[in-house]
Amino acid sequence: MSERRPRLLDPHFVSKLTRLDLTARLVVEGFLTGLHRSPYHGFSVEFAEHRQYMPGDPLRHLDWRVLAKSDRKYIKQYEEETNLRAMLLVDTSASMGYGSHGVTKLDYARQLAASLAYLMLRQNDAVGMFAFATGRAELIPPRSTLGHARPLLLLLERLTPGGATDFTSSLHSLAERMTRRGLVILISDLLDEPERIAQAIHHFRHRKHEVLVFHVLDPQEVAFDFEREAVYVDLESGERVTTRPQELRPDYRARVSAWRDQIRQFCIEKRAEYVPLTTDQPYDRALLEYLSKRARLL
Amino acid sequence: MPVFSFLNPGFLAALPLASIPVIIHLLSRRRLPEVPFPTTQFLRQLEPREIRRLRLREILLLILRTLAILLLVLAFARPSITPRNAVTTAAAAMAVIIDDSESMAGLDEQSKPRMEGAIERARALVLAARPGDEMTLISATRPMGAATEHTSDRVRLGRSLTNTQVTMLPADMAGALLTARRALERSRLKDRELYLISDLQRSNFDAKARAELGPIAAANIRVYLVPVVQSRVPNHALVDLDPVLRPGPMGRGLELRARIANYADAPSDRIAIRVRHGDALVGGGDVTLKADESRWAAMPLDWRGSGSDSAQSSGAVLIEADQDALVPDDRWFAVLGAPGRLRVLRVTEPREGGAAPRFASLALDPGKDGRSGFVVDEVSPAGLLGLTKSRYDVVMIEDVASLSTEGEARLRSFLRDGGGLVVALGPHSDPGYYGSRLFPGIIDLGLDGAEQAAAGGSYELRARLPGHDVLNGLNVGVGAPLTESRLTGVMKARTLTTRPEVVVQTTGGLPLVATSPGVAVFLSSLSDDWGDLPYSGAFVPLVRGLVSYAAQADAQGPGSTRVGEAPAARLTSPPGAAVMVRGPENYTSQASVRAEGTAYRAEADAPAIRPGFYDFESGGRSIAVVAVNVSTLESDLAVIDPDSLRAASGTGSSTLGSANALASHLRDTRRGRELWMTFLLLAAAALAVELLLGSARALRA
Repeated sequence: MSERRPRLLDPHFVSKLTRLDLTARLVVEGFLTGLHRSPYHGFSVEFAEHRQYMPGDPLRHLDWRVLAKSDRKYIKQYEEETNLRAMLLVDTSASMGYGSHGVTKLDYARQLAASLAYLMLRQNDAVGMFAFATGRAELIPPRSTLGHARPLLLLLERLTPGGATDFTSSLHSLAERMTRRGLVILISDLLDEPERIAQAIHHFRHRKHEVLVFHVLDPQEVAFDFEREAVYVDLESGERVTTRPQELRPDYRARVSAWRDQIRQFCIEKRAEYVPLTTDQPYDRALLEYLSKRARLL
Repeated sequence: MPVFSFLNPGFLAALPLASIPVIIHLLSRRRLPEVPFPTTQFLRQLEPREIRRLRLREILLLILRTLAILLLVLAFARPSITPRNAVTTAAAAMAVIIDDSESMAGLDEQSKPRMEGAIERARALVLAARPGDEMTLISATRPMGAATEHTSDRVRLGRSLTNTQVTMLPADMAGALLTARRALERSRLKDRELYLISDLQRSNFDAKARAELGPIAAANIRVYLVPVVQSRVPNHALVDLDPVLRPGPMGRGLELRARIANYADAPSDRIAIRVRHGDALVGGGDVTLKADESRWAAMPLDWRGSGSDSAQSSGAVLIEADQDALVPDDRWFAVLGAPGRLRVLRVTEPREGGAAPRFASLALDPGKDGRSGFVVDEVSPAGLLGLTKSRYDVVMIEDVASLSTEGEARLRSFLRDGGGLVVALGPHSDPGYYGSRLFPGIIDLGLDGAEQAAAGGSYELRARLPGHDVLNGLNVGVGAPLTESRLTGVMKARTLTTRPEVVVQTTGGLPLVATSPGVAVFLSSLSDDWGDLPYSGAFVPLVRGLVSYAAQADAQGPGSTRVGEAPAARLTSPPGAAVMVRGPENYTSQASVRAEGTAYRAEADAPAIRPGFYDFESGGRSIAVVAVNVSTLESDLAVIDPDSLRAASGTGSSTLGSANALASHLRDTRRGRELWMTFLLLAAAALAVELLLGSARALRA
């Protein structure tokens, strides 16, 4: 199993599988299997066993269904009742279609969202999804039934990159529509004005939502490891820049790093969780971040 | 203004290669690939500032690469710049003196033949000659001879150089400089240069040669000294030989005396000397010499191994010393006279009350048997009338007042025939007669009368020239007394010219022994009239030394011919037919014969060019053999200070101390200063800067 786990969580491996529901399950199962052996053991993320009710046990842990069916009092260990409502926000702008090593950012975001949705539904959390870009947005309201996974996965499979990243209109309108307090998980390359992103996050926070930001970038976007002089064409604006990568690389990296630090800084200021990811990283980190966040919320 | 030119202009056709970096740059820009990229916003932010800087560096790199190729191509084209001195751009007249003297057969400091170095340098000069240049090659040994070549044809000059060989002749530097000056003065070209390729032997630059440098400087001729050696190479040489065999020690056997010199700043090793008669080794010895010392070495002879039937044999012998830096002077060819005794005619006047004292006769032939090597006959001045060279080798006139006119004429005839003369004065001698009548034409010595020492005083005999042949039997240093004995009277004398040599003098500087070739004068008494000299241990060697020295007048004659001179032989009777002379290396020459006194002299028409034996033949049979040896002038390999020659030859002269210095000089003055190395270095510098910029960029990246 220890050999399978990294394969299941490896974006390259996952990208070769066609069925998103299957891949999501593989990712999550693999993740959970590894989790038992990890320092996070003890997280109450799945149903473990029943034991007989003993006087002194809190009544809220009593399994009422078993009691109703068999008139016996059992305590359901490690399965928790939750009313967490999570909304997965997936950026589908044109820049998300970039992938330097076979996996685009949208692929990565799609798989990550599917895995998170599967994980949440397994824990009886309510999951919704909002795919957005300039001029288009699709919303699936949160539900906690296992059958809710299907529309979510269908939406994810349908997503194609296009348009510009639009935080101003899309996210503000969503924030207005989300009346119940919940968890907002933003999966995006955040290629918009930092102020706009900050405003959007601020808006969610203002509405008492918890915010978890997965900042997904391609490794090349971070490292800028091109060798040849070339004309670099912007995926969203179409602007062209002719340059020699080795000349600009140090300055470029410094700027990208500063940009990520800036986002991290305002996330901290807004008390949002910021998780920088690159598309060559396994999904477990993101899943762990989610679980960690969830544990703090409950 | 300096003129810039290229020696390999063909390479300039490759100059377009310098455009390669530009072309590559343009092509690479035109074919840039398009890469979709989401975060161009950061590149755009960098562009205005960074791109400008990068463009600048890019242009700089482009310039550096182009420059490097450009400089490389130019370096291959051998750029040169002619000096500001406009004279060198014009055609030049050059006189090249090549020292082909005997000393050039020696080795230089690197054990390389000196002549090889000289030819190499001369060839460099010929190769550097430009169209229009005139060049005169002058042999230092035969400046007026066939070796002089005047041409502007480089091929012919090169061929002439190929044929140039070391001669066995001494250098005639004065003649060579004179020939060079005249050749240059004849030229219409204004730029005149004299190259002297030589080992710059000190002995070659006598006063006459130095005097030639002044007119050369006055004629506006630039002199370039091109030495092939820088320092004195040690050398020993056989410099003289006593052709008369002498009785050996204690009167037994025979011995031969050769003079050997050590021309070095340090003592020599033990030098072995061998005497060969034909193929047989008949004698030898060894000698160790101090620095710059020359000494007679006596070598016992044993003729038994030579196939000769008796010790009375005589003939051609070859004396060889160990070989060193200069081989020709390690051999001496000699034709020995009949071994025997010096025949001395002692002329004295009877004294009142008896015959003259016989101290000198006893010193020369104590046993009256000739075993000492001397046979002495004693006569009165009248006995001189029967004097002939065939009967006596040396006449010794001792304390005679004066000679008769007939006797004096006979004596002079004897001297002309090669006889030797020893004059010993005394209280009975007439200083006026000797000083005014006998000595003129014989020795340049003036007499001022007899002088007696003050009461209680005396005259000491001190050596002035310790190495002189007269003092050969006495081991003395400069200024050292010959003996404890003292003289009470001397004949006051003075040298009238520089020719006479004062060998012994008094403490006060009065001459006591003066010599001229074949003549020795003792300016005091050889009896006990003026002191106790006859009773001292120095008396016998001194008297024998005086007689032996005088006897060498004959040895200085035709028998010791030097290379470059015509071999000559003395014949006792006229030859019956034409005389032919044959020598080494197919030397053949006719000889002319003329009467000389009572004998005849046969002299070859052509000079000897090699040392060796030269055979005079008449009617198909040998009538005389003479030996020819190299000049001792060439044996001292001491080098003259070039500065002293430069000082004499004006400010336009300089020394080109090495082959590289000569090459550099020629490059600068003939072809101009070549700049290929500079260009190459600049190209390397451009590439280095390019690499630095590139690596800085890579490091930054």
